[in-house]
Amino acid sequence: MTRAEAPETRQSAGSVRWARRREVLAEVLRNPLTVVGFVIIGAFLLMALFAPLLTEPNQPDPYQSPRDWANIDSPPGEAGHVLGTDSQGGDVLYGVIWGSRLSLQLSLTVVLTTVVIGIIVGSFAAMRGGRLDNLLMRIVDVFLAIPELIFALAIAAVLGPSFRNIILALAAVFWVKYARIIRGEIIRIKQAEYVAAARVVGDSTWNIFRKDVLPNSVTPIVVQATLDMGNVVLIGATLSFIGLAQAGLTEWGAMVSAGQSGLLAGEWWVSTFAGLAIVLWALAFNLVGDGLRDVLDPKTEGR
Amino acid sequence: MSPSTPQSATSTVEVDSVVTLNDVSVHYPVKEGLLQRVSGYVRAVDGVDLTIPRGQTLGLVGESGCGKTTLGRVVAGLVPATGGDIWFGLSAQQHAHMNRIRQIEPSERSAEDRALWSELEANHRLGSMSKQRYRDYRRNCQVVFQDSFASLNPRQLVRDIVGRPLRVHGEVSGTDVDQRVIELLERVGLGPQHLLRYPHQFSGGQRQRISIARALALNPEFVILDEPTSALDVSVQAQILNLLVDLQRDLGLTYLFITHDLGVVQHMADQIAVMYLGQIAEHGPTDQVFFDPLHPYSRILRDSNPSLEDEEAVDRWELSGTVPNPINPPRGCRLHPRCPVATEACGWSVTDALDHIESHAPAVFESIDSVARSSDFAATIAMGSDDDAHSFVAQLNAAPFHSAMTAPAITNGKVVSLSFVEVDDAQLLPIRDLRSSACLRTQHEGFLPRQ
Amino acid sequence: MSDNWLLSVENLGVRFHSPRGTSQAVDGVSFEMKPHETLALVGETGCGKSVTARSILRLVAEPPGEYSSGSIQLRNEDGSTTDILSAPEKVVRSIRGNRISMIFQDPGKALNPALTVGRQVAEVFGEHRLDMVLEKAGVSRARASRTIVQIAQQRAGWLASRVVGLLRRQDVRAVRRALDDEVASALADTGIANPRKIMASYPHELSGGMKQRVMIAQALACDPDLLVADEPTTALDVTIQARILKLIQGLQERRGTAILYITHDLSLVKEFADRVAVMYAGRIVEMGRSEDVLRSPQHPYTQGLLAAIPRADTPRGELEAIPGSVPQLIDAPLQCHFATRCAFASAVCREKIPVQTALGGDHSAACFRHNSAEELNVAASDMPLAASATGETQR
Repeated sequence: MTRAEAPETRQSAGSVRWARRREVLAEVLRNPLTVVGFVIIGAFLLMALFAPLLTEPNQPDPYQSPRDWANIDSPPGEAGHVLGTDSQGGDVLYGVIWGSRLSLQLSLTVVLTTVVIGIIVGSFAAMRGGRLDNLLMRIVDVFLAIPELIFALAIAAVLGPSFRNIILALAAVFWVKYARIIRGEIIRIKQAEYVAAARVVGDSTWNIFRKDVLPNSVTPIVVQATLDMGNVVLIGATLSFIGLAQAGLTEWGAMVSAGQSGLLAGEWWVSTFAGLAIVLWALAFNLVGDGLRDVLDPKTEGR
Repeated sequence: MSPSTPQSATSTVEVDSVVTLNDVSVHYPVKEGLLQRVSGYVRAVDGVDLTIPRGQTLGLVGESGCGKTTLGRVVAGLVPATGGDIWFGLSAQQHAHMNRIRQIEPSERSAEDRALWSELEANHRLGSMSKQRYRDYRRNCQVVFQDSFASLNPRQLVRDIVGRPLRVHGEVSGTDVDQRVIELLERVGLGPQHLLRYPHQFSGGQRQRISIARALALNPEFVILDEPTSALDVSVQAQILNLLVDLQRDLGLTYLFITHDLGVVQHMADQIAVMYLGQIAEHGPTDQVFFDPLHPYSRILRDSNPSLEDEEAVDRWELSGTVPNPINPPRGCRLHPRCPVATEACGWSVTDALDHIESHAPAVFESIDSVARSSDFAATIAMGSDDDAHSFVAQLNAAPFHSAMTAPAITNGKVVSLSFVEVDDAQLLPIRDLRSSACLRTQHEGFLPRQ
Repeated sequence: MSDNWLLSVENLGVRFHSPRGTSQAVDGVSFEMKPHETLALVGETGCGKSVTARSILRLVAEPPGEYSSGSIQLRNEDGSTTDILSAPEKVVRSIRGNRISMIFQDPGKALNPALTVGRQVAEVFGEHRLDMVLEKAGVSRARASRTIVQIAQQRAGWLASRVVGLLRRQDVRAVRRALDDEVASALADTGIANPRKIMASYPHELSGGMKQRVMIAQALACDPDLLVADEPTTALDVTIQARILKLIQGLQERRGTAILYITHDLSLVKEFADRVAVMYAGRIVEMGRSEDVLRSPQHPYTQGLLAAIPRADTPRGELEAIPGSVPQLIDAPLQCHFATRCAFASAVCREKIPVQTALGGDHSAACFRHNSAEELNVAASDMPLAASATGETQR
């Protein structure tokens, strides 16, 4: 009878795991602020996904705003431009929508690469220990000693102004954070009794790393990665604001910069809407990140 | 009453042992400074001899810092010993051979003995075992930890936790694993409905049952129980203890039961080893150690234990002072600075003298300029003034250990030179029957000294 | 209520609100303490003993806690009583540390790691024994400026204390010396051999037993009428525990403090407490003199607890374990909480809540086995097997 049960239990194992994930999600969504964050992120995702449907993509480069030379500097609502135009007739709404694609691209690329590199480096340092650990952590210390923004600025400036270089610069700067986080977590978890139990069972180091150490150390990484989705866009926007992206790019930071000169003349809409997009994006990810931290981090649990 | 000679001719009777420890030590280096130079060693376990006979429960008792947990980890293979040998699965005959050959200098062993020794090492000694034998050891020696919550991976289902040993050793595969896991769960009082749950969904007692099921998965001979019920309520503890006894009987298990709870160890263990500051103070059958202790520390532990028994509290022995530094433990017998029956032959040293002055005459202690030690037992101490030197000597002469010193001399008015009779460090020696004690006085007199 | 009582807890109820529901952690707990006596409050994890202890000093955080019912009456010297639960915060603060003191399980957490031990004990004297300190220092209250008072209370600002220290050097020095003497003597009273050295140390430099002594010194500094000890020795080794208990007993004899001792360890009760109250799932199930309860327990839970403790003569593997586990207290049904695990449980146990029934000689138990069908107005078949039937009642 038990043998007949077995295939059933294997199927249920998967469903049990999903049930657990749903539980965690429900817990996360209990916080109204987190829900707000999710909604905003959802809106941006849709915007990025359906950009070609929402607005006619500009040719040859959709990431350059279509220029309506007849209506430059026109305020929102006039001449068919819902959010107005900039000093070159570029449609602000178009810029915001297509800018969301760039923000998504920027944050996903940077966060994914830095998380992976950080985990690899940090894991090596923590699992091997000794001199390798020392060496790697001293390198990390050097990186961490320089403020992120300045460092990224320096790299991007050296590489030359382009969107791709902003991505590279940010990736080069952000990975150290994850290396340090995961190293700390792994060192802590190595002391845990369930790791000792796995060693007593006789499992190999790689298996222990894969099954016990890594899954239990990623929680802070998930939280930090979520927060960084927002921060990367903030810093990226700053870099393109300074002028390290291509000219005229539908990137929010570049738009804020472009609209700057018009502010004194009372042409507020370019900088404001682009700036608003940046703020909302960063805010949304921060809210979700905080919400995740409250649920996932045992230290901040409960009372 | 003639004192029995410390070096008793009869060693303990050799039995089928599951684990034998010879002079095992674990010293952790203490690193200081920018260059991380080693400044000393924490002697967590310091020269332990122990044999765990097959089919029995050996209780390892002691307070915090005594090294019992570290010793448990050494036997479990989690922490490497920095000194000594650990042997697994020696039959009575092999044990006898090992003990015999061990006493002979390697260069003086016969070829036959040398071959025998190599064979023993390859099959039984942790650290020189063949790979195959190491796998056997791993399969046969399992651990149940104290904190049931921390010893189960919070992200794994019970099915994976208990089934893991089976998968790692490739004994069973596929659907058979689940079946075996259900058998194990039922054996420890749980059921198939618990298969697909996470650790946090269980109570402390249930989690400990899961730990036990995991430990039993590979049909081990030997289970190390590291404070398995210390974190549980009394009523739950009773359930788990009963379960452990049943399992031992049904499966022929040998237990190493580590705990600080005297009531529990008295109930569960056939033999007891009492540890203090990295060493074994006393070893013997449980009842005898409790009713007729041969070491002052055992007596103190027993007397300190609050009990529901109806006996009147008569003549309770107490421990004075605080736990010494494990980096520089006291010489001679480690208990002597705190022992109610210490005499001048128990290993007094310069450190003891200084500690005594510090707590009894702090003003005099403050006036010490420098201490130059030529050994642990002799030193010259420069005081601030001639008067200070005289006060210091007066304090020394009034101290309880004054007869352990040669008369302290004052040179150059301010310098006091001090020397103690050198005493060998205490060893665990057989006293009578199957009992041994590390108390220098008991070894000399044959009984626990009177207060 | 007897006429010679110090503290009277009447029908205390404490609730905790959480997203999962409301749990009644303490449910209708009543007991009385007389001066100079030691009452042990015993129970396993989650029985509500710690919450009860904290309620006495009104230390339960509200929210998520809530004092849902009852009163805690403290008798004053002039005969009047103060209800700690409803008194204004200022009154309760003056009681804490002064008339009622508390020591905790983990002394490391109760001591401030950033201050020396000496300062922390001095704080208590400065706060509650200011007049005595000033008198010892020879500084009259009138002449003690606000800053000098603050210096005594360890609350003076850095600049102010330096300035006043210069202007009124003699007075400030006298006050500081008086405080130091008091602190040293309090520490010496707890058996600390070298008080001055300990006073200059930080908590992390001390061992567990030493920290506990410091906490005891702090708690007893003002000669409180009642000391609430919440598992003070659970985290200590058994040899240190023995010494700390002996210390507390000695101090009690010298000063006549009443002690409410919270513990999960029944074996301590015999040596240490005059009376014991056993708690289960938020209620007191049995109460009485220690020797009576231990020798002749009248509640199935107490019986089960005693049988579960491993003793030398219990055959191995035959410890009597209480089956099952403690019920959830969230939206718990209105019945005897022990019924789910009790061998004697019957219909009435699952429908009504038992109350303390007097059994003679100060011994009482909350179990229907000691009631008759008539008093409860139920059918005899609904009643559990009477205690008298199995010969378990007290002589």
